[in-house]
Amino acid sequence: MHVLLGAAVQVPYASWLNTGDNTWQIVAATFVGLMSLPGLAVLYASIVQKKWAVNVLAMMFAGFSIVLIAWVLWTYKMGFGATSIGHGVKDGVQTQLNGVGWVKHFFDNLVGRPGQITNATSEQGQAVSAANTAIPFHFPTTTLAYFQFVFAAITPLLFMGSVLGRIKFSAWCLLVLGWSTFVYGIDAFLLWGGGYFAQEGALDFSGGYVIHMSAGVSGFVAAWVLGPRLLRDRQTAIPNNLVMAAVGAGILWLGWNGFNGGDPYYAGADAAAAVVNTNLATAVGVVVWMALDAWGTKAKKPTFLGGVNGMICGLVGITPSAGWVNGWGAMLVGLISTTVVWLAWNYLSKVRPFSRVDDALGVIYTHGIAGFLGGLMLGLFGDPNMIEYGCGKLDAAGQVVNTTSAAYMATTKSCTPFSVSGLMYTGSFHQLWEQFRAAVWVILWSAVVTFILMQVIRLVLRGLRYRDDVLEVGDLAIHDEEAFPEAPLAERTGGGGPGAGSAFELAGIGARSSPPPE
Amino acid sequence: MKLIVAVIKPFKLADVKESLIKLGVQGMTLSEAQGFGRQRGHTEVYRGAEYTVDFLPKLRVEVLVEDDRAPDVVEAIVANAATGKIGDGKVWIVPVENVVRVRTGERGSDAI
Repeated sequence: MHVLLGAAVQVPYASWLNTGDNTWQIVAATFVGLMSLPGLAVLYASIVQKKWAVNVLAMMFAGFSIVLIAWVLWTYKMGFGATSIGHGVKDGVQTQLNGVGWVKHFFDNLVGRPGQITNATSEQGQAVSAANTAIPFHFPTTTLAYFQFVFAAITPLLFMGSVLGRIKFSAWCLLVLGWSTFVYGIDAFLLWGGGYFAQEGALDFSGGYVIHMSAGVSGFVAAWVLGPRLLRDRQTAIPNNLVMAAVGAGILWLGWNGFNGGDPYYAGADAAAAVVNTNLATAVGVVVWMALDAWGTKAKKPTFLGGVNGMICGLVGITPSAGWVNGWGAMLVGLISTTVVWLAWNYLSKVRPFSRVDDALGVIYTHGIAGFLGGLMLGLFGDPNMIEYGCGKLDAAGQVVNTTSAAYMATTKSCTPFSVSGLMYTGSFHQLWEQFRAAVWVILWSAVVTFILMQVIRLVLRGLRYRDDVLEVGDLAIHDEEAFPEAPLAERTGGGGPGAGSAFELAGIGARSSPPPE
Repeated sequence: MKLIVAVIKPFKLADVKESLIKLGVQGMTLSEAQGFGRQRGHTEVYRGAEYTVDFLPKLRVEVLVEDDRAPDVVEAIVANAATGKIGDGKVWIVPVENVVRVRTGERGSDAI
């Protein structure tokens, strides 16, 4: 058989596609997806009372699904589309880097043009986005889209922890749809998609601001508008299964390897550094919270759930900076975010307005405050020697060739390695200042839009909450399902009725009592 | 001395307990119970299947009082346990021969 030189043959992937990068990106995305389902789902469902477990699970699965459908129809392009509505970003290129008044600059680079990515060209073409203007993406649009989707999905699921135990299921679904579109879609473009704050120099490695701080603030505002859970539910807020909570927490921790490890977009050294830094900050967080509980609480005992809280503080705290700080920075981040949040959890919670809002799982502390601090700490601890994208020579296929480590690290006339310089290394407040500005925006935007959404949904659904008699019963009244059914009715003599809990439970008497309400 | 026994709906416990404490009752015993009255045998649907339900969760409250206080205590329980709906329960009075306080050995009225 003769094969003509240069004849066209079938190939499995295009020359711009790097199988290592594509693999890691899809794997990382899947890890993050697992963080939601089942990680967060199981974690939250285990720490609420038995009667709310199914409601939590249902809201998790529904929320995740709703975000994905909207994602491929409009939200992905809002957050990461190649062209912005104001044309500040066009075809993946930022066009207004100098010489424009800040108002025009802001509105021209506010959000991407919404659109679908469901056709074949979109699904299989090379990813193009101003999310990364340094190097072309080495994987298709769908890889980038799915990776970013799992982040978009987990964000509202995080703040579900603030509103559970009383929000109507339908209100939740509408809230997720609206929030994902108007808060996440816009914040993602501003900080990641090459929009205004990205151009100003604000950085958020994996979402300390866009995801965690935003979720914390939004959950708090939503919980405030919604009103508290039933008094009895607040008094008997006892976790129903700590063993399953550990399963959820473990998946959340290790899944974060994908959360931070996937954000460099290339399967290189910075991805590895991000993974280790993530685990390091988390480990410090676990130990510090347990130590603080053992030393600083009235009971003087380390607690498992305290360890989980510390774990979350470390994970959230390192998220804005995972690939840009070194190991020492990571440990400091874990220490500082956990200590501050522990103090807030135990003391700030007793002070207005925190004491007046029933943020059921304390999302404002572990995600809101930790995210805010983490983003600022990038401005402090960003190590200019932690190089995310170095310099080298590219061949026609976009692969790096003939680069020594020295050449990679060194500055050439046409290329500067990309890293972040924090205050501790350069004495410059620039990064810290940019981080602060972006934080203020995210906090205000999240709060205002969440407030408006809640009011609109309240009008549309004629109320955000279930009636008290529905709240008394929980899962059985809302879903006709229970997570831990008593012995089947047929086995009991005469029954006891569906939904019959023990009489003591119904009267609100338990062997363990919780602290009295504020 | 009398033993007042009341079978009530569980969520009415708080009201009943408050009223008894206001009356100066010195103690009470609570137990879980299942009960039905004249309306036994209604059916309910659960997970798609029909079940005949007789027993419903109730609480049994027991209080020891002097004879002269018994009517007031019964009134207080009835007033606070009532919802007007089926299943409100019953209260009855049982005569007591003797009472002993375990810790001190006191007997009779001193033990109430």
